[in-house]
Amino acid sequence: MAMAMEACFAHLVERWTDQVVVTSAGNASEMWWKLTGETEKVFYLEASMSLASLFAAGIAYGIPQANVWAFSGDGAFLMNPGMLTVERRLGLPNLTHFLVDNGVYGATFEIGMSDGGETDYAALARACGLRNVFRFGDLGELRDGMDEVERVNGEAFVVLDVEPLGGALPDPPMDGPECKFRFGRHLERTYGVRIFDARV
Amino acid sequence: MAGPSREIAAAIAEQAAQSGIELVASLPDGWIAALIEAFEADARFDHIPVNREESAIGLCSGAFFGGKGSLALMGASGLMTCIYAITKINYTYMVPMTIFITMRGRLGDRAKFHVSNGLYMEPVMRSIDLPYTVIERPDQLGEIRRAEAHSRTISRPVVVGFTRDLLYGESA
Repeated sequence: MAMAMEACFAHLVERWTDQVVVTSAGNASEMWWKLTGETEKVFYLEASMSLASLFAAGIAYGIPQANVWAFSGDGAFLMNPGMLTVERRLGLPNLTHFLVDNGVYGATFEIGMSDGGETDYAALARACGLRNVFRFGDLGELRDGMDEVERVNGEAFVVLDVEPLGGALPDPPMDGPECKFRFGRHLERTYGVRIFDARV
Repeated sequence: MAGPSREIAAAIAEQAAQSGIELVASLPDGWIAALIEAFEADARFDHIPVNREESAIGLCSGAFFGGKGSLALMGASGLMTCIYAITKINYTYMVPMTIFITMRGRLGDRAKFHVSNGLYMEPVMRSIDLPYTVIERPDQLGEIRRAEAHSRTISRPVVVGFTRDLLYGESA
């Protein structure tokens, strides 16, 4: 069972309040941009290949008062599933890692993946020792389950079973430095951290 | 055979602390075993062992946006696996970072499987315009603070390479 990706993301956007969002390359960035057009509370890490959640973990580590949502694609995830051992070690209560499982490489014309889309990522996460693991395959489950995701004490890992998008969407129209400064200035203003002028 | 010097490790950690480093993400190389232990034992640092070197690049890049000074600590081979992450994340988004590596494959390294690092690692760093400095003696450890500051000035990673003789306390 799988959700339409746009409906799934639309529900998350509906629930979205002050969370800092990091999206990975491909469909996750494209869809979040399509639905929100947000340029400050989101870091579109389009160049990441498996590192979006650890990038997000670094933010969550540095700003414990920020709630951070990270989105990984399943293709990127399979390149570096050992990331989960690091996330478990960090044990960041303010990090929620969403794994978008569509079983294909969405950014590259939905070419099939090595596992044929058959990997049970939730089981993998549990095997790596993560305690708060969720898997949602329809919108009803997602609606009902997100309250619990937000209640848990400790990092949450959430598998979103979605259908392939069926085509690419426009990329967020920002170059890297614009993304860096819009996002970083937002964090400075909102959380009082010093990013750009510290120690220079 | 004597292992890496704990005194040198402590001196490197001291320089890192003075540079504002708080988070250390590491994957081992035998030469930096004492250094990893020094970071692990030092309350000024949060030391996080990672599963692969690219993960250190991702984590430390995010920590920059958390306002935290961070350090990716790895062997020479590890750096060679990070070219994608450095050029895609740090160069695309202009994210500074300090990276400590071992200068494997140089004179004195008897490990045949590091010959390739001796031949190609420095040319690879130069080919992607990745600034680096090599520390061979204890009196050069001040370069660590300069490297960290330079990284923030240029908004790119800077690599600090340590030789075997330094890390083993055998430099002149």
